[in-house]
Order: sequence, then C-alpha cells, then structure tokens
Amino acid sequence: MGGTDAVLAARLAAGDDQALAEIFDRLGTAVYGAAVGVIGVGSSAQDVVQDVFVELWSHPDRYNPAAGSLRAYLTVLARHRAVDTVRSELRRIGRQERHSRLTRAEAPPSPGEQVLTAEVASTVRSAIAGLPAAQRQVIELAYYHEMTCREVANAIGIPEGTAKSRLRLALAKLESVLDRQLLESP
Amino acid sequence: MTATVPPLPSGLRSRVLEASLRARAAGGPFPEVPEISGAEAYRRAADALYQTLDQLAAPDWRRPTIRDLNVQSLVGHLTGVEDDLRRALAGDSEAETADHVASTQPAAARQASHDPVRTLQEWRGAVDSMLAGVAGLDNHGIIVGLHGIRLPLNALLVARAFELWTHENDVRLSCGLPAAVPDPARLHQMTALGVGLLPFAAGRAGLRRSARVHLVLTGAGGGTWDVELGDEQPSDPVQATIVIDAVGFCRLVANRATPAELQPHITGDREHAGAVLAAATTLALD
Repeated sequence: MGGTDAVLAARLAAGDDQALAEIFDRLGTAVYGAAVGVIGVGSSAQDVVQDVFVELWSHPDRYNPAAGSLRAYLTVLARHRAVDTVRSELRRIGRQERHSRLTRAEAPPSPGEQVLTAEVASTVRSAIAGLPAAQRQVIELAYYHEMTCREVANAIGIPEGTAKSRLRLALAKLESVLDRQLLESP
Repeated sequence: MTATVPPLPSGLRSRVLEASLRARAAGGPFPEVPEISGAEAYRRAADALYQTLDQLAAPDWRRPTIRDLNVQSLVGHLTGVEDDLRRALAGDSEAETADHVASTQPAAARQASHDPVRTLQEWRGAVDSMLAGVAGLDNHGIIVGLHGIRLPLNALLVARAFELWTHENDVRLSCGLPAAVPDPARLHQMTALGVGLLPFAAGRAGLRRSARVHLVLTGAGGGTWDVELGDEQPSDPVQATIVIDAVGFCRLVANRATPAELQPHITGDREHAGAVLAAATTLALD
C-alpha cells in the first residue's frame, strides 16, 4: 500500500464506509471552510459539503492520488460546487427579472430563497464591485433593490433596451469573474 | 493573514455519511462487479489455464513446479482432482476423506509416458465433463465432501476456480511468464470464499478469542467485510482493520505469499491481525 491518501482512496473503492468517516473527520472542516469562503456560513455551504462527500463516495475513481492530495481535491471540488451555487443564484435573479416583465404581481420570495440570497450576497457583492460603473449601477438596482429592467431604466434615465443589455452584460461578466476567482483560489 | 475556519455545524457529519450510504451501499467494490456462479468462475479459471498451457513449448512441460511435480504432472494432478470430484458428486464417500495430494498422485505419475497434448486434452475433457455435469446444480443447496472439506457445490466450484488460478500461476512462474490476474467477477467470488473461510482457518489455528476484524480487500473484485472470529459473537466493536490487495489476499489464502510480502496496512490490534493473516495461509486453497 502507498501513502495515506492512496490507501484511503483504495478503501473507498472497496466500499469501506469507515474510510469515508475517517476522511470526513480529517478533512470535513477544510471542505466546509472552502465552501464558506465562497458562499458564506449557512445551509448552502452544508449542502456543498454533502455533495462533495457523496461525490467522493459514489465515484472514488475520480480522485487520483498521483495527481494531488485528497485535501486539495476535496477543497477544490467544494469551491467549484459553491461557485455553481452562486451561478445558479445569478440565473435565478435573471429568470426572476424576465418573469417580472411578464407578470407585474410578483410572489414574495420564499424563506429558503431569502436565506440563499443572504449566503451568496457577500461573494456577489465583491464581484459586483469589480464591474464597470454603468453595469454596476444596473446590477445593484436589480440585485439589491429587486427592480425590474423597466424600473432600472426609469430610475437612471436610460432606455429600457439599454438597461436590459447592460444587465445581460453584467450577469455574464459576473459569472466570468466568479470563474476566475475559483481558478485563482488556493 | 489567516482566515478563521468556521466550526462544523452539529449534525453535518451524520447527515453527510447517511446521504453517502444512500447513494452507494457499503461493502461492495467500485465499480460494481457482475455476480457470477461458482460454475462460471470455474469455467473461466479453466479457460485461462487452458490458454496458458496451450501456448507452452514442449520443453516447458518438463519444467519443475510445486512439490515434486513438473508442469505436465501438475496438470495430471488436476485431472485426478476432477476424477475425485466426479466420484464425490456420485456419492462416493471415499472422495470426501481422500488426501488431496496422495489421491491424485497416480494421475500425476502416469503423465510421464504421455505426450503433453494428450495430458492437456485429458484434463480439458475432464473439466468439460464436470461443467456439463454440474450445469444447473450449483444453486440447489447440494453439499459435497471432497478431500477433507464439505462445502455447498457452488462454493466448492469457486474453490476449484481458486485452485486452477493458483496452479496456472505456478506454471507461469516456472515458465517465466507474468502472473495471471482473475477478472473482477471471478476474483470477487474467490475473495468472498477466502473471507468466508477465515473464521474456520482462525479457529483451526487456535485463535479462540472473540474478535471482529474489519477486512478491506482493495482493487477490482475486492470488497469490505467485518469478520467475526472466535467461539462467541464478539461484543466489542472492530479490534483491527486490515487493508490488503485483493489479489494478494488470494495468494495468501493459496499459501503462495506471506503476510510480510504483501505489506498489509493494519490499524488497531496489530498482533491479532497478524495472527489472522497467518491463519489465512493455512487454508491453502491450492
């Protein structure tokens, strides 16, 4: 048998649930920390931890001990999953915006949606800070003030089409910035 | 500046482990291996040995192998075992008490006057006859006594697959060929048989103390077992965890490797784990 990580990987493939528990005890905090670093403390970070360990247990072959440590593999996977959560939230905002154009009477967000929004807020806020001023302005109004495109356009005195186009550009740029953050994170 | 890592929320550990086990049950190898019968394991082992023997040059048949047998007389020994199994299935009680080596010695000795091709075809014919005879019988709860051990027919056929694989590698070793590795489905049957016989081996080796050993056999066809040893059901949790390569475990059970050679990864009661592995070699499934 080779190093500790190689032994643990081989044990996972052999169906040894004790190995999974040992890995959680050793690396669970690091995985949770990686998720929290992207989406903050809360249930979404816990969901990410669960996804990461279920993935490890269900597909142990995807971890290659020769390519790096188990800690690195799991924490990178956690950051990827956390960014996916953020992107999913951005898409939800986009869908909400399109929906509001069609139906004026909006249903209030569910408690779960409110929690998720709070968790991703810090990450998104820092990404928004890096946007060009014109795009930052429309996304702040749409994201923080939950304005529709028409309301954004009225608020800052630009045509609605321009507001839509700036919002689309801003959302695309945010996704790209979040991807870069992931790649540059340790 | 070092970021503060938040503590793990309470309940997250059990939630994660439960979700994982819902996604994939513990115990079985990844990727899963198809379940095959003892007869199928035996057929595959016979096919593999036949292919190895069929490629040998005439001088290879005279190479020494185990005990005082050369390759040709070793194949004769296997024909003798097939003869004894046929007698056992026919209800001949002498086959149950017969000695594995002494009983087959005449079949081994008479190969000296035979051409290797004849030796090979006689053995293959005996195997094919046996396969035809046991077709459909291996899941009917038939208990067969052969060479001092009584096993369900399905398990006995896996034991025969074990023997054929072991002797295939005896032949390959003597002829300078690389060792053969069973396909995962066959290997899983072999490891399950070896693990199932461990309590018997431990008891026979004098390990009476009740203990639970967590045995992890790695590689394709491996798996994980909690083996209970001793005269009474152990009250304590796992006393030792042994992690060892599945093929290596089979070599151990065939008495073709020592625990030290295989370098198992052991945690817990190392002394007891070492004694269990030493007992495994006494099964000598060859």
